[in-house]
Amino acid sequence: MTRGTTGRWSRRVGAGVLATAAILAIAAPAVAPYAPNEQFDDRAYAPPTRVRIFGPEGFTRPFIHPLVLEDRLAGRYREDRSVMVPIRWFSRGRLVSTGSASVPLMLLGGDAVGRDVFSRLLFGARLSLGVTFLGVIGALGIGAMMGGLAGTMGGRVDGALMVVADFLLAVPGAYLVLVLRGVLEQVLETWQIFGLIAALFAVAGWPHTARGVRAIVASERTREYAEAARAAGAGPWRLARQLLPAARGFLAVEVLLLVPALLVAEATISYLGLGFSSAQASWGTMMQDATANGYVLARAPWLLAPAAGVFVVALATQMMGFNRTPPLPGFIRPPRPS
Amino acid sequence: MTNGLTRFVLRRFTVAILFVVVVGSAALVLVRLAPGDPTDDLFMRGADAETIAAARHRLGLDQPIGSQLARWVAGLTRLDLGESSRFGLPVAGLVADRMRNTAELAGLALLVAAIVGLPLGVVTGTRPRSVVGRIVTIVSVALVCCPPIIGTLMLLFLAASTGWLSIAPGNFVVPTLALALPLAAMLERLQSQSMAEAFAAPDIVAAAARGVPVRRLIWIHAARQALRPVLGVAGIVVATLFSGSIAVETMTSWPGLGRLMLDALLSRDLFLVAGCALAGSSLVAMGNFLADLLRASVDPRVGQPS
Amino acid sequence: MRIPRSLVLLLAVAALVASIGYFWRNRVDSGQNAKGGPRSGGKVVVTYRSEPGSFNRYVAPRVAEDLIARLIHATLVRVDRTTGQVEPRLAREWSTSPDGLTWVFTLEKGITFSDGVPFTAADVVFSFRALYDPAVKSALGSSLLIGGEQMKVRALDAHTVSIVLPKSYAPGISLLDALPILPEHKLRAALDAGAFADAWGVTTAVSEMAGLGPFVIKEYRPGQRLAFGRNPRFWKRDESGRVLPYLDELELQFTPEQNAEVLRLQAGEADLMTDRVRFEDLASLQDLAKQGRVTLHTAGVSIGPDMLWFNLDPAAKSAQGRAWLQHDELRHAISRAVSRTTIVNTVFLGEAVEIAGPITPGHGEWFLRDLPLPAFDPADAVRRLASIGLKDRNGDGLLDDQRGKTASFSILTPKGNSIRERSVDIIQEQVRKIGLKVDVVALDGGAVRTALGEGNYDAIYYAVEADSLDPGRHLDFWLSSRPMHFWHPSQPTPSTTWEARIDQLMTQQSTTVDHAERLRLFAEVQRLFAEHEPVVYFAAPKVIVATSARVGGVKAALFAPNVLWNAEKLFIQASADSRR
Repeated sequence: MTRGTTGRWSRRVGAGVLATAAILAIAAPAVAPYAPNEQFDDRAYAPPTRVRIFGPEGFTRPFIHPLVLEDRLAGRYREDRSVMVPIRWFSRGRLVSTGSASVPLMLLGGDAVGRDVFSRLLFGARLSLGVTFLGVIGALGIGAMMGGLAGTMGGRVDGALMVVADFLLAVPGAYLVLVLRGVLEQVLETWQIFGLIAALFAVAGWPHTARGVRAIVASERTREYAEAARAAGAGPWRLARQLLPAARGFLAVEVLLLVPALLVAEATISYLGLGFSSAQASWGTMMQDATANGYVLARAPWLLAPAAGVFVVALATQMMGFNRTPPLPGFIRPPRPS
Repeated sequence: MTNGLTRFVLRRFTVAILFVVVVGSAALVLVRLAPGDPTDDLFMRGADAETIAAARHRLGLDQPIGSQLARWVAGLTRLDLGESSRFGLPVAGLVADRMRNTAELAGLALLVAAIVGLPLGVVTGTRPRSVVGRIVTIVSVALVCCPPIIGTLMLLFLAASTGWLSIAPGNFVVPTLALALPLAAMLERLQSQSMAEAFAAPDIVAAAARGVPVRRLIWIHAARQALRPVLGVAGIVVATLFSGSIAVETMTSWPGLGRLMLDALLSRDLFLVAGCALAGSSLVAMGNFLADLLRASVDPRVGQPS
Repeated sequence: MRIPRSLVLLLAVAALVASIGYFWRNRVDSGQNAKGGPRSGGKVVVTYRSEPGSFNRYVAPRVAEDLIARLIHATLVRVDRTTGQVEPRLAREWSTSPDGLTWVFTLEKGITFSDGVPFTAADVVFSFRALYDPAVKSALGSSLLIGGEQMKVRALDAHTVSIVLPKSYAPGISLLDALPILPEHKLRAALDAGAFADAWGVTTAVSEMAGLGPFVIKEYRPGQRLAFGRNPRFWKRDESGRVLPYLDELELQFTPEQNAEVLRLQAGEADLMTDRVRFEDLASLQDLAKQGRVTLHTAGVSIGPDMLWFNLDPAAKSAQGRAWLQHDELRHAISRAVSRTTIVNTVFLGEAVEIAGPITPGHGEWFLRDLPLPAFDPADAVRRLASIGLKDRNGDGLLDDQRGKTASFSILTPKGNSIRERSVDIIQEQVRKIGLKVDVVALDGGAVRTALGEGNYDAIYYAVEADSLDPGRHLDFWLSSRPMHFWHPSQPTPSTTWEARIDQLMTQQSTTVDHAERLRLFAEVQRLFAEHEPVVYFAAPKVIVATSARVGGVKAALFAPNVLWNAEKLFIQASADSRR
């Protein structure tokens, strides 16, 4: 695509979207109208509540009509036009809610057990984005360390580390994480699962970073200031620390690659049942709920909200990386033909 | 070319075999070390300690890990992968079928992705500002953000609500599309990017100076040139393909390797897990190997003494 | 850049062919559902979710093996699952001695196994010998013990068999509905050599197996299908003397998940599914039924409802430091804090009955109608919890124990059953409203069974398939010394007075032959059970089975195999097209 203004614009939009996602996730307890596990009677697969501003007398403050269940088996609802329930802002510590507990505001509809999809999306973002963030930090940290060490020391250490990295790179990430998670203890609390998944992501993600960092550090090592430091008696760790800042740009790009990859990975393993418990709202478990029944999905497309969430975050990271590299997961910049 | 190429091929082949054996062994050891084992089920049926001990002996669970591993590796030479504790059948047979299914799916997806993505990449690489170019780029960027799990979900929704696609299990349309579309987008982006750089290459410039017609220049010379870096990331493409296939197989009930491995893992079926790991890594290694061969044929520099 | 014309043409042709193919495949059948009488021939396709681990029913206790055994073998007598009546099968008639301890069966004469070898009393004796053989350790054998002892079987002549019971057994000969009769000539060598337990595994050649059932196994492709063909030597005829089974072929196609099964049924690719219909599919299946493509059969209220039980073993690790976890009042509180109506409406979409005990209206006369259901009363629940020391002592909205620690426990449940997962989510949420913190841990089925076996859990939400209405056949659940007494299995002596009393009542109930007395005794058992609620029950769904409209002769039963228990009488409707 064209460089210059378009590139800057897309980078700004991307950054804005990511920032918004992060803020919404962190502020979920205040922004989400309800707790993620709060169930409402007679709201299974309820369609999204329409917020209206046109009352019988013209413009009014935003309000909703309550939903009435018409046919339980078919999951058919109808709005009760005779009642208007106003929307309340900043009440009970929530950004928006309705006044009454029996008329829930379901901006993205209800799931199979009558829980608010929008609230679950926000709380789920905490788990999914959180574990992704932690995993990225872990992968970058370990990768930078390994790559830095390999690039600095060269020789056998380099060879050994890179053999391990290449081996791990060749195993498809999903299989790797799956097997490692599958052989571990299954009865775990949510925070334990959180930490475990982040750790597994770090294990699966470091080789790629390490390879890149190693290449950069190795070429940096031939520069004059590096030679000077070595001559002055700097040990491998000190030297590595001197050379690593050169990899800053690469690491920034790595973040953009890892974020969507790890987000998808969380969705995948939670979907397969090895991630967060299905009683927890994470984007992966929500997707699992959505596919429990194929034809229900056609009737209730709002269940796809977590998929849209992953898509939006992935797209935003792509846009942030526009013009720095082509938007590709796992892509190594092709060597310029010499 | 032949001598360098032969040595190259042999070296890659040996590495591949080693890779496969190491992955399979690692899986075997990991499952052995895992908490729980397949005899847990018997307890619920009121079996006493003796029966359970007999069952564990039959499954070889009372042997030390090292000797069990050694025996398994020895069995590999005879293509004997042991017996599944869950099905009571030889692992080799179970895995072979599933392996073929996964390979079919992955291969078909790769083919579709290459046929669709690479030519489109040439188009957008040469005319990025044309209408076609812009549309394709936008769609491509969107699809890249639709990894297989999201894509399958969307396709399932599309299929269920419109009925245009069949979501019956065993039907290959939805799984193939789910795997192929993001991959096609990835290849398109790659090809597009490297096309721009290919035009700067000296041999292309020389060809242009010689008066080669534009269309031939684009599609034959530059495209070939641009293909090399694409093939360079073939390893990652293959790994992504197989990673994505697990979720797709589960969501669309495609009888592939990923699902089998997941079930085997959860039921601690030792030899079946190892067999699946073996099969999966074989497919990955084969894919990489083919990509290397392709790269060697496209790039004459491969295989020559550096 | 021009796209070559030939490519465009190729794509256009391909698109045309593809769309023709698609529409051809999906054409709607206009076949009406006119009821025709049974006619012979045809093939029924069944999607099935689990694969057999063996073809030897005696050593393999799972549903898949049981189904296969019912198709290829026959039993001495059979219980009609829709009426509960015992019908003659291999035994033409029988008599009971006055003391009720000896049964004498007169066997059918002149019938042969599927390989032509004649059936005699020796096969019955052999079957019992294999059943009770200590080297075989048959799970089926341990469920066919009377009062913990074996039955003694003798052949009085080539076609008469006597079975002597060690104690009086109230459920009677219906017990024998569970025992397939095996061919002695095929398995005797294995039994004598001590290799019976390994005989007839899944790799056995189909020609090696012989049975007296309506079908024979034609082909087994692991992971794909198990194909049955008609047994040409099946000896049973229908009322008008026609040869049974009506069907020529029956095929089990292994389909890993329920979603896929429903899709295949709706697409017309399969005639029958593993088990009952899911309620969210019910609406679309009802539409299909109106169009005449699918038939829905209601068998009644389920007799195997989901149950929530707690680990009541006083020695359990989980109870250390949490004495309140094993207290009766905790379960009473939970039973009153959860709205059964919500579960019925949300999980079962209204198609279920609220229950509070293991016996449901599906059990017929055994169900104690006047036993009151605990009312939905969260305030009462809070009071009950306060009475065992659980109060919110620090104002965080969660109940704490005497020492101020937040009271919490975990419920294990097997993954993969959306009904159960949703039910337990509702339970968790409603219990949270009264301040009790519950963690739901969804695990693989094997892991849950391990935890159960090791006694390493707080509470479990699970269900077991029932296989008969008569509670006398479920002593493994009721008696405290048995392994399926889930909340505290295999006790050497009963640890509570009420369990001791239930032991006593159930033993009496299973030996008394007076039916009215049995009902009375069992009513008292149910009252005791309700008083202590070791297991909390919420709802029992209706059992609805869906078949394609082309299948006739379906008699839907409450327990598995819901339709195929009567596979020999299934037929293809006369009006259906013979696509298969």
